[in-house]
Amino acid sequence: MESNYVIEAYDIRKKYKGFALDIPELKIPKGFATALIGENGAGKTTLLNILSGILLQYQGEIKYFDRYTDRDRESIPDVKELMGYTASGSYYLAQWRLKEVEEISKVLFSGFHEEHFEQWCRNLEVGAEGWDPKQKVGSLSDGNRMKLMIAGVLARDTKLLLMDEPASPLDPVMRDRLCEIIREYLTEEEGQRSVFFSTHNVADMENVTDYAIIMEHGRIVEQGFVEDLKEKYVLVKGDAADAVRVQDKLFTCSSGRYGFEGVALAENLERLAGCDVSMERPSLTQISVAVMKHFSRMAKG
Amino acid sequence: MHNLKALKAGEQMRILQNSGEPIYQQIAEQFRTDILAGRYKQGEYLPSIRGLARELKISVITTMKAYEQLEAEGLVTAAQGKGFYVNAQDSEMLREQHLRKVEDALTEAMAAAEIAGMSDRELMDTLKALMDIRKNE
Repeated sequence: MESNYVIEAYDIRKKYKGFALDIPELKIPKGFATALIGENGAGKTTLLNILSGILLQYQGEIKYFDRYTDRDRESIPDVKELMGYTASGSYYLAQWRLKEVEEISKVLFSGFHEEHFEQWCRNLEVGAEGWDPKQKVGSLSDGNRMKLMIAGVLARDTKLLLMDEPASPLDPVMRDRLCEIIREYLTEEEGQRSVFFSTHNVADMENVTDYAIIMEHGRIVEQGFVEDLKEKYVLVKGDAADAVRVQDKLFTCSSGRYGFEGVALAENLERLAGCDVSMERPSLTQISVAVMKHFSRMAKG
Repeated sequence: MHNLKALKAGEQMRILQNSGEPIYQQIAEQFRTDILAGRYKQGEYLPSIRGLARELKISVITTMKAYEQLEAEGLVTAAQGKGFYVNAQDSEMLREQHLRKVEDALTEAMAAAEIAGMSDRELMDTLKALMDIRKNE
């Protein structure tokens, strides 16, 4: 049977001074947009760099497209042809002109179409003129550099996009456009293409996120399809008088003069019996914040 | 491909992000209404999951969940790799579904009448009056 995962990784470990990435199992569903959510320093970039092949020193095994190992990734050109990666900084050198970016990309990837690249640059308005072959990468703003990398991966025939904080340098209109681009990408080959992106702007990317992986201190602390997570967790609000009584029964809780608000596990709702609480379906942002708070508190003891 | 069609021309689908009703339920409800009203014919495919997500600017998993709910209700069937098509609507079930809608609407009217302090008599009279108006139209 065909695998339902575009990437499967096992026992991924990487140690830095004061930081350890430790992921016993990672499965990224095929055909969907998966968000990697976590605070700064949670290990999102390290994980993306390992998956994309930027970082080669690590322990563990990775399987791509149900076929290729991470050794294949380095030896069989097909594997990297199928993958597009955008970095959180810029991987194009500042002194390169846009025409050089195009020519180098053409050398690196046989599936790179220069017409598509120029079209995307115009479409995303990368430079002042949209597309100016003489413009230097160094003269572009952070947002435009991100758009340039996005144009670079969209100009190729890929099946998987790995994107490190693509929304961060973009303005609100462009973030909306990014969501649209991800949906278009997934639609073009119904179920055959996948996107894996990291973000700490969960709210901006919420409407494009199908599967969420939440990281904290180098570990995956929660993951699931968003619609399932929204049933696993419940947003509860109640009177200030009940705040102390419910505090330890909630997953996270913050209380003030006018009442308390918290996130509870749906399976624990009966423990709130007797309190006057109202319940709501949480957003992915609310779930993410609750999960991150809960686990960072646990880590601090 | 036949299953990659988008929403039909003139078809309406309005999704409220902050209505409190989960988006997948809003989508399921609109298709349910369309199917029961015969706007989708037996064997006809619903829009592709990712195509609909794109048009409505929502995530793929949300449209998928809506379709899975319709499938659980027996309104559509999933065809491997092809999408979801509309089942034959057995007339008994159709009637049942419509009856439920009528009951729901009347229940709502009763609740509103209670808040307004209307007596049972007044409520009946109102319904009767409305039916008469409709007949004369």
